[in-house]
Amino acid sequence: MAAFGSFALLIALALAAYNLLAGGLALRLIATKQPTAVSPERLADTARRAGIAGFAAITAAAFALVWSVFANDFSITYIMEHSNRALPAAYKFAALWSGQEGSLVLWAWLLAAYGFVLRLRHKTDVKLYAYAGAILAGIQVFFLAVLNFAAPPFALLKGAIPQDGNGLNPLLQYPEMVIHPPLLYLGYVGFSVPFAFALGALMMRYPGEKWIKITRTWTMVTWLFLTAGVFLGMHWAYAVLGWGGYWGWDPVENASLMPWLTGTAFLHSVMMQEKKGMMKSWNVWLIFSTFLLTLLGTMLTRGGLVSSVHAFAESSIGYWFMVFMVIVLAVCIFTYILQRTHLQSEQRVESLVSRESSFLFNNLVLLAACFVILWGTLYPILSEYIEGAKVTVDAAWYNRVAVPIGLFLLFLAGVGPLLPWRATSFKSIRRNFVLPVIALWVAVVVCLIVGVRPWHNGALNRGNFYALVAFALAAGVLTAILSEFARGARVIAKQSGRNYFVSMVLLVRRNTRRYGGYFVHVGVVIVIVGLAGSAFNRSEEKELALNDKLAIGPYTLQCVGFTQDSNANYNSEYALLDVSKGGTKQFQMSPEKRVYLASGQPQTMVAIHSVPGWDLYVVYEGTNPDTDQPIIKAFLNPLVSWIWAGVMLMIFGTLVALTPRQWTVPAAEEVVKK
Amino acid sequence: MTETQGFVAGVLLLIALLVYTFWPENVFASQGEKTRLDYLLERKEQLDENLRDLNFEFRAGKYPEEEFEAQRTQLENETAQLLVEIEHLQ
Repeated sequence: MAAFGSFALLIALALAAYNLLAGGLALRLIATKQPTAVSPERLADTARRAGIAGFAAITAAAFALVWSVFANDFSITYIMEHSNRALPAAYKFAALWSGQEGSLVLWAWLLAAYGFVLRLRHKTDVKLYAYAGAILAGIQVFFLAVLNFAAPPFALLKGAIPQDGNGLNPLLQYPEMVIHPPLLYLGYVGFSVPFAFALGALMMRYPGEKWIKITRTWTMVTWLFLTAGVFLGMHWAYAVLGWGGYWGWDPVENASLMPWLTGTAFLHSVMMQEKKGMMKSWNVWLIFSTFLLTLLGTMLTRGGLVSSVHAFAESSIGYWFMVFMVIVLAVCIFTYILQRTHLQSEQRVESLVSRESSFLFNNLVLLAACFVILWGTLYPILSEYIEGAKVTVDAAWYNRVAVPIGLFLLFLAGVGPLLPWRATSFKSIRRNFVLPVIALWVAVVVCLIVGVRPWHNGALNRGNFYALVAFALAAGVLTAILSEFARGARVIAKQSGRNYFVSMVLLVRRNTRRYGGYFVHVGVVIVIVGLAGSAFNRSEEKELALNDKLAIGPYTLQCVGFTQDSNANYNSEYALLDVSKGGTKQFQMSPEKRVYLASGQPQTMVAIHSVPGWDLYVVYEGTNPDTDQPIIKAFLNPLVSWIWAGVMLMIFGTLVALTPRQWTVPAAEEVVKK
Repeated sequence: MTETQGFVAGVLLLIALLVYTFWPENVFASQGEKTRLDYLLERKEQLDENLRDLNFEFRAGKYPEEEFEAQRTQLENETAQLLVEIEHLQ
């Protein structure tokens, strides 16, 4: 299979190169209207078909790699390093993206799959799709060149072939790891498509904003995948790394967050361009930056530039990425300078208090957050380069800067939808903001009553203060969004004669994009409430002999046994803990520690009991070598499940927003054409 | 799969993909230049949608009457200018 896989990758590279060159030439001939022996449209169509054929070739290569994993072909270095005979089938499949070469195959395959769909839908707008297809082919040429020359996945092992492989990294042997990387990559790779459309539209001086409508679905689907990928990564870190948290501002985590932030900014500001013909240059640079950040993220994850618990493959391919990023940036700058007159705004922001300005502020805040994270991520590299010593940036630094930015974003999420377009009068503000402001202050009072106080022993407690602000803002924003639903449903109920619930459904169907967006905002609010809960985290650590007890919050953990187990893949030892509340036994937990046989690496398996109020999170830390007693660490993490619930709502909202508009409200009065 | 079998399979894949890519087809999609009229019609569609949204938000009680009237007049004027140009081009 190695020969077939390598051959398929070479064919894919040739086809992508043909797609780029023939496609580019055909578009040039069409633009200059030069007479030619071969019709440029025919040439462009062969380029498109080469793109589709390239998808088949890369699929064949990916299939060859997966086949080789399942066939335990340890003559291939990649398979030897990332799999072993006893590895369960699902993780054998995950071995495809557990190492550098395999994950680059996944990148190239996903890009080809996106390109395949794009090329099949080319009749929507033949010329724009031809530009986008050629640009995607250019990106594909880079990844296939890396795969063929710098990181070949089918490289053969030198010397004797071992009987068994080294096995998969234990950190990756977790169910979520089977779906987290593909989702994250679907998000990363997916931003290539709106990037290709934006660059193509700029190159051809596409008249109007229809390209935004064409790419909307692509952008939202991509954002959905990236959102799901980022949060699954958080959940994986929470459930596997055993430190009680879910976000450690690790460079690789940051790398996935940065394109999410700029992509989110793009999704908001592009509405301004579509509706008002504003912010054209801004949007073009937002999507350019998002694509460059996805490349940076891949480079950080795969290039070995930073040390991270998530960077499972480190090598020197970072230099390939750096060169490619410089080329992409140069193409973007050159095209922008050449075509900037095409990006003149048709209108200006008329007032600082308007829907337009709220979008602008939202963008500025998201970009500020992205810049802060980028600075913190690259600072260790820059400090090492400039001063010769690596200065790391700790989580406290990020929290100090990112938390206020996040709270301001939350504030804007509530204010934005309430502001009218163009300008807002004081009367309008009073009309729209009374209820949310009341809700905000009620939340402050309730929080103070239940003990969420921003001071402790007379001094300001920063964590509690931010939590209080977050809860209060969340109440205000939720009220603002719910009032939007309520007011809209009232209009529909009045005009259609339906009941309030049906009217609410019809309201969403009338404008799926807007109300789907509101669902996403509610999801974000719930996520932030969950994040704010971390201000009240607590933990206890104790050596537990048989029948010893450990108390945390309302729970008492009693050790009722320690046992060991083994299978073909790993040996494990775990504690059996009876958990009681108010003197009554509630459930049993069994935190575990595994040692994988193939790699000899240990891995913690955390036991988590989740209820809406908190998570009881228990880690078996091993035994104390002096006393031979097992060490148990328990965390009580408030509101963590709210984060995952909020994410589910964000996903639901995006799916609603992706649904086509299906209903039109009956007109109360006719719009008069003057 | 031996190395030779892999090579043969690769050659077969190459032939199949080349045939697909360069198979002579008489019908393939092409597109004329987008005209100013196309652009204006798209813009008008967007303005109509903006007007619908404005009316709905007014009925939902989001705008005071005078603000609604001012914005509606502005949008209608923009639409009217577009319609004049569209009629001229048609």
